[in-house]
Amino acid sequence: MSDLPETVREIDRQITAYIERGVDSRDEDTFGELALAVFRLQYNGISLYRRYCRKRGIAPDSIDSWQQIPAVPTDVFKAAEFCLVPPHVARTFLTSGTSAGEEKGRVAYDPGGLGLMDATIRVAGKAFLFPDESRPTMLILAPSPEMAPHMVMVYGMNRLIENFGAPDSRFLIGPQGFQPEQLVFALEEATAQNRPVAICGGSFGFVNFFDYCEKRDYRFDLPPCSRCLDAGGFKGRSREVGRNEFIDMCVRYLGIPDDYSVNLLGMTETASQFYDDSLRNSMGAIIADRKKISPPWTRTLVVDPETLEPLPLGETGLLRHCDLGNRGHIFALQTDDLGVAVDGGFEVIGPAGPGEARGCSLTIDEMTEAMSS
Amino acid sequence: MTQKLEVDGFYLPPEFSGEISGYDTETFQRGDVEVRLRTPRITRAVVGELCDYLRKNQETYLRSIPLGHIIEVLDRASRRWMDSGYIYRKLALQSIPVMTGFSTETVAASIDVEMESSLSEDMWRALRSEIGNPLYLDGFQHDPELDGYRRAFGPDLMVSFFSENIPALPHLLFMRAALVKSACLGKVASGEPTFAPMYLKTIAEIDPDLARCMAVLYWRGGEVGVEDAAFEQADAVIFFGGIQAVNSLIERIPRRIRVLIHGHKLGFGVIGKEMLTADRVDQLAAATAYDLSMFDQQACLAPHVYYVETGGQISVAAFAEKVAEETAILHTAMPRGEISTADSAAITQLRGKYEMRELRGDAVAVHAPPSGTDWTVVYEKNPGIFRPSPLNRFLRVVGVDDVLQVLPIVKAIGPFLQNAAVAIGDEREQEFMAKLAEYGVARITAPGNMPVPSMMWHHDGISPLAALLRWCDIEKKEGAKGLRIQVVK
Repeated sequence: MSDLPETVREIDRQITAYIERGVDSRDEDTFGELALAVFRLQYNGISLYRRYCRKRGIAPDSIDSWQQIPAVPTDVFKAAEFCLVPPHVARTFLTSGTSAGEEKGRVAYDPGGLGLMDATIRVAGKAFLFPDESRPTMLILAPSPEMAPHMVMVYGMNRLIENFGAPDSRFLIGPQGFQPEQLVFALEEATAQNRPVAICGGSFGFVNFFDYCEKRDYRFDLPPCSRCLDAGGFKGRSREVGRNEFIDMCVRYLGIPDDYSVNLLGMTETASQFYDDSLRNSMGAIIADRKKISPPWTRTLVVDPETLEPLPLGETGLLRHCDLGNRGHIFALQTDDLGVAVDGGFEVIGPAGPGEARGCSLTIDEMTEAMSS
Repeated sequence: MTQKLEVDGFYLPPEFSGEISGYDTETFQRGDVEVRLRTPRITRAVVGELCDYLRKNQETYLRSIPLGHIIEVLDRASRRWMDSGYIYRKLALQSIPVMTGFSTETVAASIDVEMESSLSEDMWRALRSEIGNPLYLDGFQHDPELDGYRRAFGPDLMVSFFSENIPALPHLLFMRAALVKSACLGKVASGEPTFAPMYLKTIAEIDPDLARCMAVLYWRGGEVGVEDAAFEQADAVIFFGGIQAVNSLIERIPRRIRVLIHGHKLGFGVIGKEMLTADRVDQLAAATAYDLSMFDQQACLAPHVYYVETGGQISVAAFAEKVAEETAILHTAMPRGEISTADSAAITQLRGKYEMRELRGDAVAVHAPPSGTDWTVVYEKNPGIFRPSPLNRFLRVVGVDDVLQVLPIVKAIGPFLQNAAVAIGDEREQEFMAKLAEYGVARITAPGNMPVPSMMWHHDGISPLAALLRWCDIEKKEGAKGLRIQVVK
């Protein structure tokens, strides 16, 4: 495979340098310049996106701020491919799809784009999950990268292990599925040796494990500095657990203090991840309410669900993520997650998901459920 | 300046002496109207007493009055609601939009279509259609087929769980109950609890004794004590609701109770190429837009998709564009309501997918207003499977090479089929309708009629009145055969 075009490599160098300045850097000007440069690349390089922008009367020369860059709804990855340098695709991640039979979105990465993702994982992981450089054993409630090469979460967890985990870190979902005994064993071993662990995985996997513990009356009191990271929420699951309830469960079943329970918002469509700041604040002796942080190489807007125009601080709307890490596909993505901007970050209120039926007409979810049961 | 309305989310007959410990008031606001909704704190004991009270009045009054009188009362109630100056109609036009987000125009249109089909002649026809001679409900009547006499009885007490807010629909359940001389306790949905109590106030104005056989309460779904108290005394339960709610409820309903379930269903339309002529297309497009827009597509009657055959004088893509134009016009006259963030997001995401396919050069066209999710008409070629709409005025107009290709697509969703608009215009229409009937469609009509069924319609494929009845036949009491029976002692 030939090298990426020099223009792309040059902007990747600049973005990487910007990411490596860390999560406390505040440089609005550089972000804006890089965002517009990324937009110019994507406008010129992705013909479908160019047509989408033109229809809205927007071109690189017609705008002067990143806020004006057209966002595309995340579901469009289910309908088409958006790739800046198609001949260079190195990895394709698939969206999970929330209901049976739904088509999956495909998000392709070239080696440079993967490099940017790696940088975001490294810098954000260090800031929000491992500020103490404790190198715990990472126990991942997810299949291994060999088993699930198209799951972006697995890819990300593997990068976290490489950067921050002890050598005995491992993925706990094998060909037979999740074996809770293995996690029990690992937690008992860590407790006996007084070595901290970091348990990471899908939110629903945690809740399943807590149910398992409840049935057997298992309670762990994990060594100090143990922590957990959950991602994915409960979209499309049979049961929903509120954030506070989840944190309480981590205290009750694992003995992990509430600040050490970190939630992550990650999406296949965005290269960067959005962490809770609870662990970082706790270690920095900062007292503040838990919130999600958009790291400096990203911006998160909250937009009116009808007009898709940005809303003032404090109003609830749909989250729109703008991410320099997305250089290889689309910079600005309109999600269907409900959230609110707060000072210094944002809060996710939940996936907007399909609405509740108001009338007697069938909803998409109900039909899917009934047809698959 | 905010306008404040005091509205009851319940109706208890004024003389009902059950002990209500207090009332809660909840405030809802939308735009510059505020609804202060008052609901009583109810207990299992109160519901038990109320059911006693309703049953007693059914026995002493409703059971013995002639059907003709009941129909007259209901007819007068419908006519009051059709009068634009009627006080409760005016109040409902203010309260329902606040509770549901529907536009005032949509609520007014809903009340009109519901009440216009609920007049005296409609009720007599519905009864004749379902049970032959309506007077079976008044006493024994000769049945020539039986060569004997028969009489029909409705339940003494029915409990009706109303669906979330098709505006003005709950009146139908009270009408059906009264027509079979059944007392009725209605459980309103939290989303729109204001119409049903007002409707019963209308009945009380016309015949207070009849209104003493009716009540409306709200309780949270699954409030076991209260529901059990109602089920202890009910003879029939009618339920509108989704699959999950039905499943959890049905387990707790005693076996002796007759249960009618109206689950969530859907509609679609089919137009043949013969119909797509230059002189018909405007009317057809307006009809389709009306089917789409009425009740903001929330009814089980509403179309998710219109299948349109290619090869007509007008192309399917051009027809879709016409439908979009007509939908935009209707949106001006009868605006789409306010919808939840989740519903808006679903429309944005789906539009995005179609827009990309359109930009990629697929045979797709997305028609939508420049801003907002108020309506969407998508043209696409037959995807081969049925895809439900996210609703709130989102219609797919799907081009098919032959209308018969639609049959396997809708057959696959047989259990959900409710309503079909069919306009094929040639000899295939009969065959097509026969197949739809086999698959489970409960109503076939023409485009433009989808939201307005007659009272004679077999709602969800059942006879909504006859299904409630129990019969007594007097058989072979007279005549030679009967006399020949020897009783051996």
